[in-house]
Amino acid sequence: MLLGTLIYGFVNSAILALLAMGFNLTFGISGVANFAYGAVYIFSGFSAWIFLNTLGFPYVVAVLAAILLAGLMGLAIYFGVILRIKGMPLSEVMATFGLGLAIMELFRYFDFVGFRYTLPVFFDGSLSIGDVYIDYQRIIIGLIAVGLTAALYLFTNHTRTGLALRAIAQDERSALTFGIDPDLVGGLSMAIGCALAAIAAVVILPLGTIAVEGGYEVLINALAVCIVGGLGSTVGILVASVLIGYSQTFTANYLEPHWMMLVSLIAIAIVLVVKPSGLFSHQKELEERI
Amino acid sequence: MPIWEARGTEEEMMLEVQNLMVFFENALALNDFEMEVREGQVVGVIGSNSAGKTTLMNTLSGLIIDMRIKEKRRGGQRITVYGKIVYRGEDITETRPTERVRKGIVLCRERHPIFPESDVLQNLRMAGYLRKKAEIRETIAYVFDLFPALIPLKSRKAGFMSGGEQQMLAVGMALVARPQLLLLDEPLLGLSPMMQQILVEAITHLKARSGITVVISEQFARPVLPMIDFGYIIENGMLTLTGTGPELMDNPEVKAAYFGV
Repeated sequence: MLLGTLIYGFVNSAILALLAMGFNLTFGISGVANFAYGAVYIFSGFSAWIFLNTLGFPYVVAVLAAILLAGLMGLAIYFGVILRIKGMPLSEVMATFGLGLAIMELFRYFDFVGFRYTLPVFFDGSLSIGDVYIDYQRIIIGLIAVGLTAALYLFTNHTRTGLALRAIAQDERSALTFGIDPDLVGGLSMAIGCALAAIAAVVILPLGTIAVEGGYEVLINALAVCIVGGLGSTVGILVASVLIGYSQTFTANYLEPHWMMLVSLIAIAIVLVVKPSGLFSHQKELEERI
Repeated sequence: MPIWEARGTEEEMMLEVQNLMVFFENALALNDFEMEVREGQVVGVIGSNSAGKTTLMNTLSGLIIDMRIKEKRRGGQRITVYGKIVYRGEDITETRPTERVRKGIVLCRERHPIFPESDVLQNLRMAGYLRKKAEIRETIAYVFDLFPALIPLKSRKAGFMSGGEQQMLAVGMALVARPQLLLLDEPLLGLSPMMQQILVEAITHLKARSGITVVISEQFARPVLPMIDFGYIIENGMLTLTGTGPELMDNPEVKAAYFGV
């Protein structure tokens, strides 16, 4: 039981890290809290499903197309909506949340509800560690979470574009004096954030069904991880994912599974009371933002 | 030691500022400002706080265009720019700041504008965003040559360095962007006399070695006047005096106002 809890706790942590990564990246770079994040996640799930089942794309193409589409959607949200209200946090939150609400409820309106909306797993089968069985999909989730974290680290520290992203995150106006365009980089950060949400969606959603309610849950989990870890801090995200991930799994296994959702909300409450800027961040605006 | 060449020929007109007026809402920050900079010169803009130095630098670098767009978007302060800025025969009054960097106009903002959470080497590489990899490598080597004190600090987080070190880095970063016209906004602000001396020497060295043109703004006339070819003294956004370095140094008004004699 304990070994199982530890392994599944790790997978759960990896899931949370994947969910929070995109939200955190967009916020860390352009300062925009993208509350349409859960909607983009669900949108990507449904679009992958449509590519696969309605349009008959091969699996790999459908997945890549869904990720690309999410990226384009991020660009559209940034240049269509956020650019007009940039620098006004409350408006950014309201606009993106409203947009997310509209996207998700449109899916409900067009009757995207039911058990037939599932994505296939990458590989069928499972593995046993000791007496614990774990399916390949969960192992892949762990691997992708670790791989993406490493890739993002290399990208932001060692490439021209990555360094430009970090420059903008630290001082927009100074970055501009070196020819780095804040609007372009902001749009890019939104696109990458949304693409990361899509990656999370196509990797995680095969574990269950694609449901509109999932979008709200994803947003709350992403927020919980980011608030506990400290918005904009990569180390914070990883630590918070592990903390919340294991707390959720232990709660589910040793108390009652339906208390699981409470864990992230309680974590948000505790951190906001004890250390409002999050465990690993110096963001002072956090109290105003959330 | 190779360093990029300034393209223009010596003494040719590089930058002309005509009837420049800048308003923030109804407040006049620059009033009918005129300025000429020739290729290869070091030009000083001297004035006390709130004289309009930073506004001038932001207008020359185009930052003010970006500020204007941002303010307009959120319905804030109205920024208005009248007049004309001609750079190498081309009207750049409405050119966006990123485009100006491409043309070789690079601003080093006041109060050491570095990226505090990144290390020195990353800071320098960030500044070379628009330049080729080989160029960046070459200029970084040159910057370390110009400021040897930065070499042992390569992997130090820029935010943890002293003010003087940060200012050296800031000038170095502006160089990595390969300026033809380098705008330095109060580079000596808050530095010790020794640190000021190091920077002044570096700027003089820079001029001799690469032939790039420098516009430097300062409150302190004393360290700056000896190295400039031509100077402009502004007060409350208005030009009050112009002249060569020695002319300004001998001027009784300048002596009274800036040397305390």
